[in-house]
Amino acid sequence: MITNPQDMTRKEGAFEREPARRVFATELRECRYQFKDGEDEKSPTFVLLPTGERSNRIFIVGTLTEKTRQGEQNIFYRGRVVDPTGTFFVMAGSYQPEAMQQLAKIETPAFVAVIGKPNLYQKPDGSFMNSVRVESITVVDKDTRDLWVLDAAKQTLDRIDIFNIGTAPDVIKTKEQYPNSDPAVFRRAAYDALAQIKM
Amino acid sequence: MDYSEAAERISRKFSKSGKAVDVKKIEGKLRRLVDEFGVQPQEAERSVTNELNKEFNIPTAGSGGGSKAGSGNEEKKIAEGVPGDWVTIVGKVVALSAPASPSIAQSGIIADESGAIRFVAWAKSNAPAMAEGSWYHIESAVVDEFKGVPNLKIHSGTTVKEISEDRSLIPTPVPIKDLHPGIAGVRAKVIQEWDASHERMLQSGLLGDETGTIKFVIWKEPGKEKLVVGAVYTIFYAQVDEFNGRLSLNLNTATIMQEEGDIPVSGGETAVQGSIVHIAPGSGIIKRCPVEGCNRALSRQNYCPIHEIQPKFVYDLRIKGWLDDGEKTHNILLQRDVVESLTGITLNAAKEIAENNPLGMDEVFLQVRDKVLGRYVICHGREIDGRILVNTCERVKFETSEHAALLNRAGGSS
Repeated sequence: MITNPQDMTRKEGAFEREPARRVFATELRECRYQFKDGEDEKSPTFVLLPTGERSNRIFIVGTLTEKTRQGEQNIFYRGRVVDPTGTFFVMAGSYQPEAMQQLAKIETPAFVAVIGKPNLYQKPDGSFMNSVRVESITVVDKDTRDLWVLDAAKQTLDRIDIFNIGTAPDVIKTKEQYPNSDPAVFRRAAYDALAQIKM
Repeated sequence: MDYSEAAERISRKFSKSGKAVDVKKIEGKLRRLVDEFGVQPQEAERSVTNELNKEFNIPTAGSGGGSKAGSGNEEKKIAEGVPGDWVTIVGKVVALSAPASPSIAQSGIIADESGAIRFVAWAKSNAPAMAEGSWYHIESAVVDEFKGVPNLKIHSGTTVKEISEDRSLIPTPVPIKDLHPGIAGVRAKVIQEWDASHERMLQSGLLGDETGTIKFVIWKEPGKEKLVVGAVYTIFYAQVDEFNGRLSLNLNTATIMQEEGDIPVSGGETAVQGSIVHIAPGSGIIKRCPVEGCNRALSRQNYCPIHEIQPKFVYDLRIKGWLDDGEKTHNILLQRDVVESLTGITLNAAKEIAENNPLGMDEVFLQVRDKVLGRYVICHGREIDGRILVNTCERVKFETSEHAALLNRAGGSS
């Protein structure tokens, strides 16, 4: 009965935080397509995961094996976070002061939980490089790492199920962008990751 | 100068609402104003119109906006009244409330089969005093909006007549999730009672039905009684207010009947499992305003937005953050006891750190963050306005059975 224009603006203005996808290193490494959702300067950027889901943020738990400080004027830290399937390249610069301080403090090796934004670069030689810009990184225990492997495996399998149905818009986009991608590879990777946890 | 055209125009305006006016007389008035007093013709037309409005007790609808005045004669159902409408309705006065200002003669709620609306009779309207339970024919009233709630204004141009009707109205309760500002009824259970945040407040708390929950308030007034926590009530003619995008139910005008038995309450109780992906500023140890009923978080300088500087603040622990299940991110709020059991840091320990560590309160924030960020937890709580108020929060445990099931799933049909 009552048309309330405030309702409209509130819904439009309602902030929805982008969820952090659970993705194994081997899958993130295969990303080749990055896009913006919308024309706006502040529209979020997504990388398209080969299992058919867009991702603006990821959550990973692995072992920080190496970290290096780089840059003279603009200090930034690079690190390698290893999961059962491969390696994530993470970085935190002066635009992420909190994340950089966290990363600087951590002694390698350590189990870490990383929340960050995936970024896709093309190197001069034409090859692609995926790195993760860290929003936060904390030291966690092995239990959390094991829980993450379960979580990442489950969500990877969920994505593959949706991929096989084949009707979701992101899935259609994925089939266009990655015509040779085979989800069975990622199912295998999930299995191998799970198998590394001792029963 | 020719005044007949303007006079015709005015006369048409009034004959539309059924009032007979003398064109010659209007013409004479206009001529007098313009010729004798040097008034602009437009202004003259306006003042003659206003004079007649007064004579016929028609309120001037703003400046020159007389266009709506004609439609006030159609009888409408109460639910059809939209702010800005002139309406004529037939309804029963189901509640009267104390006027909030001397310029208001009466206020209350009037209802028909279609719904109910708050009404206000201005003291200047000279409307007859209406009695609760009686039926009235109200002609040419205006629907407007006050604080987002539609309101029926009875002004000097409104005719109020008591009529001999004696039907009983049985309103239908509305599911709580479908409530919107206005007058409505619910059938709900009192889930919680909160500390009164104002001395004039008799009771406030949370009502719930199968579809959701809503805050309710009863203000102190003679004859008002508190609701019983855990009891179920059918409530008619309560006022649904909106403040900061949040709805609440004012029960002062309401007819309240306690019911036997119990009803299921969704209560918004939800459980979400995921990882904590962000701890927001304002988490950790905070200072709260000590003024009774305030309890607001103070700024670093011990400043309360209402009560200003409060050196005798009270410490508290909380976590504001985001819980992420990979599909959706949930805003969570953890109170002191939940924070204590999740982090193992007690309020006393946090106080000790805040007062003795060189980093002070920041150190508590950092310790809390390092203990919970990136961890898998399961939170049980009530979702209010997109934020989960967490009652319990526990670390997720590794389940061997889940591990085995996933191995089967991954290895199964590859």
